[in-house]
Amino acid sequence: MNNTNKVEIQNQKKDLFREAEDLLVIQDLHTHFFTPDGVLRALDGVDLSLPKGRALGLVGESGCGKTVLALSILRLIPDPPGRIVKGKIIFEGVDLLGLDEQAIRDIRGNKISMIFQEPMTSLNPVFTIGSQIAEVVLLHQRHRAATKKQALDVAVNMLKMVGIASPESRINDYPHQLSGGMCQRVMIAMALACRPSLMIADEPTTALDVTTQAQILCLMKDLRDEIDTSILLVTHDLGVVAQSCHEVAVMYTGNIVENASVEDIFSSPLHPYTKGLLRAIPRIDARKRGESLQAIPGNVPTLKDIPKGCSFNNRCPEVMDICRGEYPPVFRPKAGHMVRCWRYVN
Amino acid sequence: MENLLEIRGLRKSFAIRSGVFRKITGYVNAIDDVDLDVYPNETLGLVGESGCGKTTMAKIILALEKPDAGNVVFNGADIHAAKGQTLAQIRRGIQVIFQDPFGSLNPRKRISSIISEPMIIHKTGSRKQRILRCAELLNMVGLSEDMLGRYPHEFSGGQRQRICIARALAVNPRLLICDEPVSALDVSIQAQVINLLVDLQKELELSYIFISHDLSVIGYISHRIAVMYRGQIVELADAEALFDNPLHPYTRCLMAAVPEPVPGLKSKMDGLIPDVDEIESSPRGCAYSSLCPLREEVCMQERPGLVEKESRHYVACHMHALFTGS
Repeated sequence: MNNTNKVEIQNQKKDLFREAEDLLVIQDLHTHFFTPDGVLRALDGVDLSLPKGRALGLVGESGCGKTVLALSILRLIPDPPGRIVKGKIIFEGVDLLGLDEQAIRDIRGNKISMIFQEPMTSLNPVFTIGSQIAEVVLLHQRHRAATKKQALDVAVNMLKMVGIASPESRINDYPHQLSGGMCQRVMIAMALACRPSLMIADEPTTALDVTTQAQILCLMKDLRDEIDTSILLVTHDLGVVAQSCHEVAVMYTGNIVENASVEDIFSSPLHPYTKGLLRAIPRIDARKRGESLQAIPGNVPTLKDIPKGCSFNNRCPEVMDICRGEYPPVFRPKAGHMVRCWRYVN
Repeated sequence: MENLLEIRGLRKSFAIRSGVFRKITGYVNAIDDVDLDVYPNETLGLVGESGCGKTTMAKIILALEKPDAGNVVFNGADIHAAKGQTLAQIRRGIQVIFQDPFGSLNPRKRISSIISEPMIIHKTGSRKQRILRCAELLNMVGLSEDMLGRYPHEFSGGQRQRICIARALAVNPRLLICDEPVSALDVSIQAQVINLLVDLQKELELSYIFISHDLSVIGYISHRIAVMYRGQIVELADAEALFDNPLHPYTRCLMAAVPEPVPGLKSKMDGLIPDVDEIESSPRGCAYSSLCPLREEVCMQERPGLVEKESRHYVACHMHALFTGS
């Protein structure tokens, strides 16, 4: 009894400590798209925090709002049709939604940078990779590089850092001369050129082969420690999350349904959706043991026809009456483990 | 065991053209001397990285590409020598499911005409019988028959892939080539489609050639697995044997690179994953020699052939003597 109390207090302390150290806090964020067919609630009350120096994995199936969340943080939602209608995004103590256009530009690419899924298409094909990396530095950090030449030196250093051989000659290459993995390394170099405090990576390895993916994940891990950047990793691959994140947030139809440390999510998932996702991953040795894959029945609902109550109620194996009536609020059955499911009402 | 499909000495290369006059400046060997058998009622997994020749192989088996050398024999008939009626028979016996369920269904056609098209081409049944067959097929793949009048855009990715499967099954094929059928789908939907394929195989006694870059999907669905690297099969074994005891250094590297959904599991790939970007292998030697941690002089000089290292476990590596049986 005494012992459990002690642990609980420690956990609470840890929580308090973490709150003080949060780099990014998102509160009750609503991003809606106003279309002729009606309002689509792409984000519907997202709460999330990212502690300093940690990596948070944002997982979910296509259409659940992962990318909209990433774009909302940088205020890159195309308006019209989209708009952030409510909520707060507090980054290093400042609400990003209150900033004017000039101020947010100073943050984009400088303090918060982003890596996109398609490395080949997100680089400009008519400029050399050196000048594309140098551009970021010239734009944001004149004090580090006053001239183009100095900026190119920074670019060379960055390329060296991401493990590209003979960077001095590589800076004169164009994107088409590089392989997919190399392009992604260049993207990472560009994203980290200003030593941002937050890097948002939107499916950074989805377009790459497994061996290249392993290298890029390894690289991101090393760089995170080296320049103390927090990472928000958006992905649909639970394997990638398990290998490279500290914390996991599971998204479903515009909301975060479960948020906990990576160990808790994988060893004791609470939300039926998380459990279903974990069971649906084909494991190499499962067939030998004669297990069949357990799919989640039904489809991910589109934003137009989200069921009333809990949005997962039409696919949930543990559905109760209350789930059909009301959307579940946040429950914290354990310190540091958040879940939105009526099962955990006590 | 009678082979359903026999591939012998298959080669295919594509010309690289460059410059203003599109002069041929070199060749890529997409398929480089491949021998492979497919047995009835089995799933053969074909795994490898992008550009290793998986899809070219599928196209050649479907008689959509002509090989430079070698032959493919299906049910006793050479696919690439066949003409007219025989070719039509062969094509009827081999059907395909593609990766992208959004690009492979004609958006202007109703589901009923999409599924009955193969039957019209192969002239099976009357109009009425075809419609009945469509309904039967839709039920078989877990969709309801009142969806026959709808258009593809009304379906989600997983449902479209089911429609593709129904279309492929319309003419009762013996062999189904699945080219990355689940890689465009979400995890929860992916599991549904994989389970469907497994069930259909039992029900209809189909053979699959299942192409994927995802080792865990391949490992789950396949009976035998062929690992391809740069147009060659470097290892071929029963699924269990391959995962329990991978022999080829490339197979080991691939397996180590798969991120396991178990947190804290220390990555096993230290020293195994080479810098893939530095590729300059000798043309005569083993294709993997430039990246291989076990490389010796002989690997640069001579191309290793597939050797039966253990019973039904083949590997193409000079260093296979180093691997002790598990």
